[in-house]
Amino acid sequence: MGDTPPSAEGTNIEGESPQVEPTIETDEATITDDAELERTIGLTGGLAIGIGTMIGAGIFVFPGLAAGNAGPAAAASFAIGAVVALLVALPASELATAMPKSGGGYYFISRGLGTLAGAVVGLSLWFGLVFATAFYLVGFGFYAVDTLAELGIAVGNGLVIPIALLFGAGFTVLNVTGTENAAKLQNGIVALLLSILVVFLGYGGLDAAGIVGEPSAPEQFAPFGTLPILTTAALVFTSYLGFAQVATVAGEMKDPGRNLPLAMVGSVLVVGVLYVVTIFVSTSALGSERLAELGETAMVEVGRHYLGAAGAFAIVFGGLLATMSSANASVLSTSRSIYAVSRDALLPQRASRINLRYGTPHVALGMAGGPILVLTATGQVQLLAEVASFLHLIMYGLICVALIALRRNEPDWYDPDFRVPGYPIVPVLGALASFALIGFMQPASQLIGVAIMLVTAGWYFYYARDVTLKGKL
Amino acid sequence: MTRILVPLAILEGESVSAGLTTLLEPMNVTVLGYHVLPEQTPPDQARLQFEERATDALEDLAAEFGADEGTADYRLVFTHDRKQTFDRVAAETASDVYAIPGATGPVENLLVALTGDVAVDRIVSFVTELVGDRDIGVTLFLATDDEHAGRESLEAAAVTLFDEGLHVRTELAVDEPPLEALVDAATDHDAIVMGERAPSLRSLIFGEETERVAAESVGPVLVVRNIEDADESVEATERPSPSDVADDS
Repeated sequence: MGDTPPSAEGTNIEGESPQVEPTIETDEATITDDAELERTIGLTGGLAIGIGTMIGAGIFVFPGLAAGNAGPAAAASFAIGAVVALLVALPASELATAMPKSGGGYYFISRGLGTLAGAVVGLSLWFGLVFATAFYLVGFGFYAVDTLAELGIAVGNGLVIPIALLFGAGFTVLNVTGTENAAKLQNGIVALLLSILVVFLGYGGLDAAGIVGEPSAPEQFAPFGTLPILTTAALVFTSYLGFAQVATVAGEMKDPGRNLPLAMVGSVLVVGVLYVVTIFVSTSALGSERLAELGETAMVEVGRHYLGAAGAFAIVFGGLLATMSSANASVLSTSRSIYAVSRDALLPQRASRINLRYGTPHVALGMAGGPILVLTATGQVQLLAEVASFLHLIMYGLICVALIALRRNEPDWYDPDFRVPGYPIVPVLGALASFALIGFMQPASQLIGVAIMLVTAGWYFYYARDVTLKGKL
Repeated sequence: MTRILVPLAILEGESVSAGLTTLLEPMNVTVLGYHVLPEQTPPDQARLQFEERATDALEDLAAEFGADEGTADYRLVFTHDRKQTFDRVAAETASDVYAIPGATGPVENLLVALTGDVAVDRIVSFVTELVGDRDIGVTLFLATDDEHAGRESLEAAAVTLFDEGLHVRTELAVDEPPLEALVDAATDHDAIVMGERAPSLRSLIFGEETERVAAESVGPVLVVRNIEDADESVEATERPSPSDVADDS
């Protein structure tokens, strides 16, 4: 692994320079001049971060919205999303094994393509995660209201946003003050969710295929034509954002050369299959029109359709857990991405201060939690999801470009344990597909996304124009 | 010479008592300064902020253990998982023994527990090396249900130590709860030497026996590591990672 890391120099407007030290990476620790950083996340932990972040959105929030837009062909939209995610996950895996550091995509791009691209991606990723977290929280709010309804307390959808805000604030505070290790809990939640889904999808799949239960009249596969399949793919891509979160903890993964690619590619494959089957099963159960009417929590009715009240309850419970774990995992990734840019002097370095009492990065968590609450208050599920996807897709496209740039002229330190199969076709397709998907979003989402990128570029020119991060290419 | 690992939560102000420093003087010592972080915090982020302060403290501690004579050094680790760090550093430094630092004055009496399935030979030879020609009394302690066999193995160990010129007593606890008996016996001793046992259901539920003894006896506990564990972790380090094979794509 890279024992001569990329150079970094220059200072920002406050006179801070990037804090980069030579390190030696082993499978178990990162060794710096005076200290060692233990790698403590195994393959299971990595998969739990990836799957745990993704599963909440794709299964528990999107089926109703997606079926409304594309009909049963929404399954194809999810499949397209999975293919795009896979085309990016492979190059991202190669870069992550070459640079197993905190910061993920931002780190690869700043070292591969230079500071401007890095700053735009790093700061946009912060906002992208903030949008994604707000989206998960709104989804959580819908499930919380439905849970109350299942328990016989009808409160109406008016309480969705207040509940989401309350829990968003709660997560932020818990992350600042909580020193209990929630990683094991997260693993357990993901395992439980997967079991609920396998039982439910197994039964539903048999039913949909006409083996058990009453036969239902098949619906036209793509009632609205092919364009909605693509626009829906752009919308639901938010349910594939989690694999890159695995790369944000790359610095803490054990045996990163093996575990990073397995966790990233594996989590995309697992959730991709689950998403496609879920859409297939739920459109067969209720028909896409009915799903669209039911909206964010349509899956609860699908559960009721197959397994009665117990099914509905299992889905409501699963939805609560899943959206919660997605939101929580993204808050953690957000604070890590803020740390990564502030370490490189693209944000004031006090943003990555750790408080003495809890040992947590309270400033970065606050910079994540504050904007999350503002966005959650808007309650715009589709817009939040699309802007999050927009900002991530820019990063994904640039990850592929960074890989090509590094491969064309490999620096000495570039020695990945995992190399993309099918180079250069995979990264080229990955970049094209990522940028193309952006083209199918609503104009409002595209405008907000471009505006955020312009602001981040402006920040770079104002604040950190003299910082050089590009590796020795 | 046997190397002893002394793990200290360095940024939480954990330190070693003068009595322990003196006791470990003849041995090689690695002071392991560690800082456990919640998962919200990347270890590297904590390093940037705390490294200097921790290194200063560790340099002083290592000097007390004889860094200038070359018998002591230190490592600084930021981690999410204390146990994993201990095991890795112990294996890397080939430390056969680790210390749980407690409070004690000068150590005059050492309690050596031989209870259970522990490597008696290694414990005995470590005690011989540790005490050397110093005037430290050794009490060999064993809790068992089988009085006869217990007495025999205590006597055998006592003879070995006696032949090396140590002052040895033996104490046998029959049909008593082993842990409580050990803690009782520890009251008139300044430090405890015991063997590490393989993890069991009991230790998963109640915590490691060694840590419970340390918590209840207050004084320092020297734990002779379970060498089978150590071998496994060394193998794990040397095993070629599967990713080396995946390079040919």
